Amino acid sequence: MNFELPDDLKDLRRHVRDFARERIETVAAGLDAEPTFPRATLAEMGRMGLMGVSTPESYGGAGLGTLAFTVAIEEISAADASHGTLMAVTNGLPQKMLVAYGSEAQKEAYLPKLASGAWFGAFCLSEAQAGSDAAAIRTRASAVPDGYRLRGAKAWVTGGGEADLYLVLAVTDPEAGARGISAFLVPGDAPGLSFGTPERKMGQHAAVTTTVTLDDVFVSDGDRLGGEGEGFVMAMASLDGGRIGIAAQSVGIARAAFEASRDYADEREAFGRSIRAFQGVGFPLAEMATRLEAARLLTQKAAWAMDRGFRVTQEASMAKLFASETAGFVTDAALQVFGGAGYTRDHPVERYLRDARVTRIYEGTSEIQRMVIVRQIYRDRERRGRT
Amino acid sequence: MKILTVIRQVPDAEARVRIEDGEVALSGAAWVLDGMDEYGVEQALRIRDDGLDAEIVAVALGPERTEEALRTALAMGADRARLLVADEALDPLAVAMRLADVVREEEADLVFVGGKQADWDSAALGPALAEALGWPLSDWTTALTLEDGGIRTEHDADAGSETLTLPLPAVVSTQQGLNEPRYPTLPNIMKAKRKETRSEPADAPASRSRTVGRTLEQRDRLGRVLEGDPAEAAGEVARFLLEAGR
Repeated sequence: MNFELPDDLKDLRRHVRDFARERIETVAAGLDAEPTFPRATLAEMGRMGLMGVSTPESYGGAGLGTLAFTVAIEEISAADASHGTLMAVTNGLPQKMLVAYGSEAQKEAYLPKLASGAWFGAFCLSEAQAGSDAAAIRTRASAVPDGYRLRGAKAWVTGGGEADLYLVLAVTDPEAGARGISAFLVPGDAPGLSFGTPERKMGQHAAVTTTVTLDDVFVSDGDRLGGEGEGFVMAMASLDGGRIGIAAQSVGIARAAFEASRDYADEREAFGRSIRAFQGVGFPLAEMATRLEAARLLTQKAAWAMDRGFRVTQEASMAKLFASETAGFVTDAALQVFGGAGYTRDHPVERYLRDARVTRIYEGTSEIQRMVIVRQIYRDRERRGRT
Repeated sequence: MKILTVIRQVPDAEARVRIEDGEVALSGAAWVLDGMDEYGVEQALRIRDDGLDAEIVAVALGPERTEEALRTALAMGADRARLLVADEALDPLAVAMRLADVVREEEADLVFVGGKQADWDSAALGPALAEALGWPLSDWTTALTLEDGGIRTEHDADAGSETLTLPLPAVVSTQQGLNEPRYPTLPNIMKAKRKETRSEPADAPASRSRTVGRTLEQRDRLGRVLEGDPAEAAGEVARFLLEAGR
């Protein structure tokens, strides 16, 4: 048993933290007030290797594991949750599915661009009537000579209108349900691809989210990722890593809020002393620190197990559930420590609270995580022969 | 070509400083690679990036913990590191004498050293090292190019700046403006641990300076308060600042 990060990951944490504080945290409030897709800082992240953390070095990535990814994304998210989300998205399914299921030609064509941050990769699964019930998508891919025509509308696409490559899931066989869904690689400039105006979100403003409309977009056979009908299964198999990433992002946001309120409670005086001396402030700080520690441990354990090749569906869901709920609790409690000051935009805690709220929703809501966990509990029990 | 970059580890200026018994308490301090030395590492890397076949060796004299600052230089891209372990703080002359031995042993062609160390605010190491080696020095360097087997530099003088041409070998002390140091890439951070770091006792000459006491520099405020029309007062402030700057 060893709960310490290895030395090289401690160095990684130190360097990513320096970068995040100097280059990301400094632009976070500005991007929140006036949202734009942060190309310049994403390019800097790309140069450091943060946009292809787990993609093999032979395809231009950093070739590191899930634990390294959690360390990096916690640091980026503590500086700005939007950058954490954008990092999670392009590092996530577009590259994960290419690495796992792409043909050699597809890997060579797309991975070096995505992993270097030269291209941003987006993922298009959800639709207006298919969120948690993802297999209910209706976007249709109809066979035509040499490829497919894609027609439909996708929702909640992070990086919509900005991304250079869209990984789109569409129905190739309407009779086959989840096994009739296939995955397609669609370049951002494909004719017939258009984007809605960015959603006006509660937080994470720089992680621009739009609808994506596919109006008879042609995709060649060579840009179908994996076999026909395998798209949904491939996407579901890649979910565990994504959930661990969002858990680490939640830990990062919660840590930023905790540290801000810890420092404020030390400096702020009332009734003649530092407010941390009052249990009404000190006890919430203790509770925040404890839950934060537990959330990080769950996250790192899931990442550690994944790097060792274990199936981590249950651990990933537990980490994502607990860390995102913790981010909600900690950011809210941190704002309370700040009192009225925390309710203003003069301090970052109200942004942390707004940014954290969606971690309980995307990448599977807290309710979906509980469904996954309870399913795993009984699956394990049945495997063990009801002992 | 062999380039040697001198590394110093200093307390993180952004971390809080504790004062105990009239002294800066460094026991719980966070230590970082001195930003001035980072310019030297970056410049060495740029010389190599420009296509020159150069070996880059990071060298530090300090306690064991200094290895972390050396690892930062390795993560940025230096090829190997040497640590001369000394637990007590030495003055710049003693450090320069010991480093000169290493420079000669390594047969380096070019040595970078930060113009000023962030903790003691001392700018002596660069000149002292050049003196100990008998090499030319470009101090407070803001630009550097290789030229005809030597180097051409821009450096700050007491008034304005000068262009220098130096033969190699030479010592270059760096400062802000020389370059924008890179952040280490993730793969390089992971590889840094596997690069060679040779550690040996410093066996440096004794310091010839000693600390007799420390006081905080305090300047009395002028206590001038301008009253009346804000626009006139602003003009008064501007006149005052102009004169004070002369």
